[in-house]
Amino acid sequence: MGAGVAALLVVWQLLSLTVSPAIMASPADTAVALAGLAWGSKLWIELLITLRRMVVGLAVGAAAGWVLGIVAGVQPRIRAFFEPLRWVTMTIPAVIIAVLAMLWFGLGDPAVMFTVAVIVFPTMYVNTMSGVSTIDSRLTEMGRVYRFTRRLLLTEIYLPGIASPVMAGLTLATGVAVRAVVLAEVLGAMTGIGHAFSRAMAYLETPELFAWIVVLLALMAVIEFGVLQPLKKRVMRWRKEAQ
Amino acid sequence: MITFEHVSKAFDSLEVLSDLSFHIATGEIVGIVGPSGSGKTTILKLITRILVPDAGTVTVAPGTLGYVFQEPRLLPWRTALDNVAAPLRAQGRTTSEARETAGRWLERVELDGFEGYHPAELSGGMAQRVSIARAFAVEPRILLMDEPFSNVDVTLKGALMDILESIIREREPTVVYVTHELTEALRFADRIVELTPDHGLREVDLGDRAAVAREWMRRTLGDLAGRW
Ligand SMILES: Nc1ncnc2c1ncn2[C@@H]1O[C@H](COP(=O)(O)OP(=O)(O)O)[C@@H](O)[C@H]1O
Ligand SMILES: [Mg+2]
Repeated sequence: MGAGVAALLVVWQLLSLTVSPAIMASPADTAVALAGLAWGSKLWIELLITLRRMVVGLAVGAAAGWVLGIVAGVQPRIRAFFEPLRWVTMTIPAVIIAVLAMLWFGLGDPAVMFTVAVIVFPTMYVNTMSGVSTIDSRLTEMGRVYRFTRRLLLTEIYLPGIASPVMAGLTLATGVAVRAVVLAEVLGAMTGIGHAFSRAMAYLETPELFAWIVVLLALMAVIEFGVLQPLKKRVMRWRKEAQ
Repeated sequence: MITFEHVSKAFDSLEVLSDLSFHIATGEIVGIVGPSGSGKTTILKLITRILVPDAGTVTVAPGTLGYVFQEPRLLPWRTALDNVAAPLRAQGRTTSEARETAGRWLERVELDGFEGYHPAELSGGMAQRVSIARAFAVEPRILLMDEPFSNVDVTLKGALMDILESIIREREPTVVYVTHELTEALRFADRIVELTPDHGLREVDLGDRAAVAREWMRRTLGDLAGRW
């Protein structure tokens, strides 16, 4: 892992030596630009704006995908009903969703959040739904024999039974959400990392452009290792104890 | 309590039960024996309505059901205690009441100290005992047991049978006890029926239990001898 990171840095350094600095900033120039951004408040303000949009969009889209995924997993008729929606949201290019969102909501928060939610939805929906179908039918039989209430079936069998695919779905959805939020901000916002990124590109401030890429990667790393993995460990505790 | 009238059941083209009729009275302890694949589990599933017959009717009087499945069927994400408590909560008890009762039953199957263990941390025999505790804890009117002791070791088998016997005496449930080992059923059964190769049922005459046991041993040994 450490060696892989080092190799990437070395390749980056070598590439930056061979091409014009207008095309690719060196790691050192990027670090300087990054320090400049972090020194003022710009980095933190843009980061917070983007993070907030991403979290809200992700929460709405993932929650909708999770709830509808459970319902559709249990009820084949509802699944059939939502199949066109799943297909449409999965098939439409992200750019088109972002453009439509701008058309409907104008520039700013609502358009970006909407874009993220719509793009994230099918990932979570599909993972949850297929999770429901992998639930051991012998356990649901057991629940029926012992007259589990609907609520008990949900809390004792269905929700824990899909925890693993749901966590996998949430991890995927988070990656998708970062891409979606940047895309939406590049196209349809006057603030946020995506906007700062496109501004840096327009003014050919290449080191700053690369600094924003590093910020995005760092953001992803924090979410992945600081939030998702601990959450996964907590949710799947019963499996860990088995080892 | 339980009545099968001309019941037939097939899985695709595999005929398992055909035109089966029998009646089990309230409080009766009935052993069902038959070789593996003869349809014993299918009969129990028909009683619970997990399965529905292709033809004929199955009538079961209302009342709480306890079911010791052939495999433990525990919730992997719940502790032994919460596995036993779950059906009690389904009966409307609070979580703490349910856990208290569950704890007492785990003690009775000699699993005190293992309340907080998850199924994957238990041996097969221990998991089966959790499943037995779960079935007993609901105070069933009808107790269905599918080869309940096949997975527990011999020393515990005796103790578990003693518990079963005391439950039968205390609560007088109707018990359907499935096994491929006739001598196991012989101990408590009022009646034993045997599934025959032509998908029918044969009442085993229990007039002289010792003689039945001897005959069974002879047949089993004969089978073994034949196989060698
Ligand atoms: N759900 C099912 N689908 C297909 N075949 C089944 C199913 N359940 C049982 N069977 C078949 O029916 C026969 C009887 O099964 P079962 O009642 O479990 O027998 P037993 O409990 O006496 O060993 C077996 O041959 C088994 O493979
Ligand atoms: Mg069986």
